[in-house]
Amino acid sequence: MADLLELLVSATASGCVYGLIALAYLLVLRPTGVINFASGEWAMMGAYAAYVISDAGGLPPILAIPAAALVLAIIGWLTEWLTVRPLVERGAGHLAPILALLGMLVIYHQVVLLSFSEDQYPLDGPFGFGRIEFGLLAGSYQDFFIVGATIAIFIGFWLFFERTVWGRSFEAVAINRRAAALMGINLRMVTALSFAGAAAIAATAGVLDSPRGSVEANMSLPLAVQGFSALIIGGINRVEGALLGGIVLAFAEDLTRRYAPIPSGLALGVTPVLLITFLLVLPNGILRAKEAK
Amino acid sequence: MTAGKTFIEISNLSKRFGGLTAVDDVDFEVREGEVLGLIGPNGAGKSTTFNLICGYYPANTGSIRLDGKEIIGQPPHKIAALGIMRTFQHNMPFEGMSVTENVMVGAHTTLHGGLIPVLLGTGRARSEERALRKKADELIDFVGLSEERDTPVTSLSFGQGRLLETARALAGEPRLILFDEPAAGLTPSECVRLSEIIRGIADRGIAVLLIEHDMHFLMSLAERVVVLNFGSKIADALPQDIRNNPAVIQAYLGDAAVIGADTENGSGADA
Repeated sequence: MADLLELLVSATASGCVYGLIALAYLLVLRPTGVINFASGEWAMMGAYAAYVISDAGGLPPILAIPAAALVLAIIGWLTEWLTVRPLVERGAGHLAPILALLGMLVIYHQVVLLSFSEDQYPLDGPFGFGRIEFGLLAGSYQDFFIVGATIAIFIGFWLFFERTVWGRSFEAVAINRRAAALMGINLRMVTALSFAGAAAIAATAGVLDSPRGSVEANMSLPLAVQGFSALIIGGINRVEGALLGGIVLAFAEDLTRRYAPIPSGLALGVTPVLLITFLLVLPNGILRAKEAK
Repeated sequence: MTAGKTFIEISNLSKRFGGLTAVDDVDFEVREGEVLGLIGPNGAGKSTTFNLICGYYPANTGSIRLDGKEIIGQPPHKIAALGIMRTFQHNMPFEGMSVTENVMVGAHTTLHGGLIPVLLGTGRARSEERALRKKADELIDFVGLSEERDTPVTSLSFGQGRLLETARALAGEPRLILFDEPAAGLTPSECVRLSEIIRGIADRGIAVLLIEHDMHFLMSLAERVVVLNFGSKIADALPQDIRNNPAVIQAYLGDAAVIGADTENGSGADA
């Protein structure tokens, strides 16, 4: 029982990381229709940024998180400005920005590999490597910190999108770009902010996840795949779907790995199996689009 | 009801799509608080003219000046912020939002504080938000959708959707509203209601540019009518003079009888 509960705490923390990556996908996808597979690279780059900031810069880990998010927000904004906007403004097809971002994925990855050796770098969590128990629930400091931070981030985004005119205007762009522009909404600005915000969120996910393992270039691909799968599972229509999808995916992964009588290598198949199942059976994900409040 | 001074001047406006000249050297002006009709047979270039004014298409030649300043080349959101809002021929509500939220999004251009205070949740940002909600409520009352305030827009009738478009366009505090065939698809009683609303808008000092095929609806509202045919302006006159203008009758050819019938028995046939 204690074993199961500890597993659930750690699975919830993993689910939160997946949920944040899914949110990074969602923030770009909703207003622009672009699926940005570089989200995983952004998470990895965020982790490196936090490592550099806290190791070389000497900033405490808790401050390294917003600092890394800020660095990646700038990178995300530059990426949109330099690679996506020129394509959109010259009337390129829908696929062009997606391919351009895949190209950026490779560039990001190689730049990191060339700048750092292929080593793994340690990153401290804000509260170190302790273990904490709340009654039956037990887990590492970092697991509980991830869950708390993720909930705070999702509440913030939910409030912004649901409760402010600005948030509703972003949503209006997602629903009908043309009408939104003619209602006075600046599409360029919405797109630029979406990329900057997505990169910051992906970076946060990477920084939160790294203390549970290490900072390494190869962390990006699994995060990209799991975040994308979480997005499909939760559904692309609502912010909270990203978190739900992440949690469902992480539970399925961890419970299979722990209890299913299959070789651990096969447990890696849980994510693709779940992804394909959802695409076939429930392509819109668990959460439907809301009719209206 | 006499219109105020000219604030929009359109001159030598042309737009070509490939070999087709959709709008050909058109000029007219819009005066403050007037209802200006824009008519012509199908394909005359009316909707293209709207899209040029809104900045949705770039014009090939010509100029559109608002208070003497050129607006061609400005992106649509800037033109909206300058005070030109529109409704769509096919209603385009933001689905998934309530009526109130749709109208509030229309008021987006009137927000002043920027995004940072909103993200920080400052008191000023919140009070701006409240003021906006209040304004949206007033506009919803003005168009008569008070009962539907919290209704999902997908369950509005077509006529209610048109009223919502009107309220949403008004929310941006425009100086000019473009209506693209607002009476199309409305029941007779809805037409009467919309007609009253459009007159009410003009009474607030907001100019209205109206594309409409329903001659009865148009002639009862417009103080002046511009007629396009094959992209060119063929008339710019008072409604009563338009009815007898030979060039206009010629343009409508076989449909000339329809205009005649409209003026006689007032049935709102599609021209």
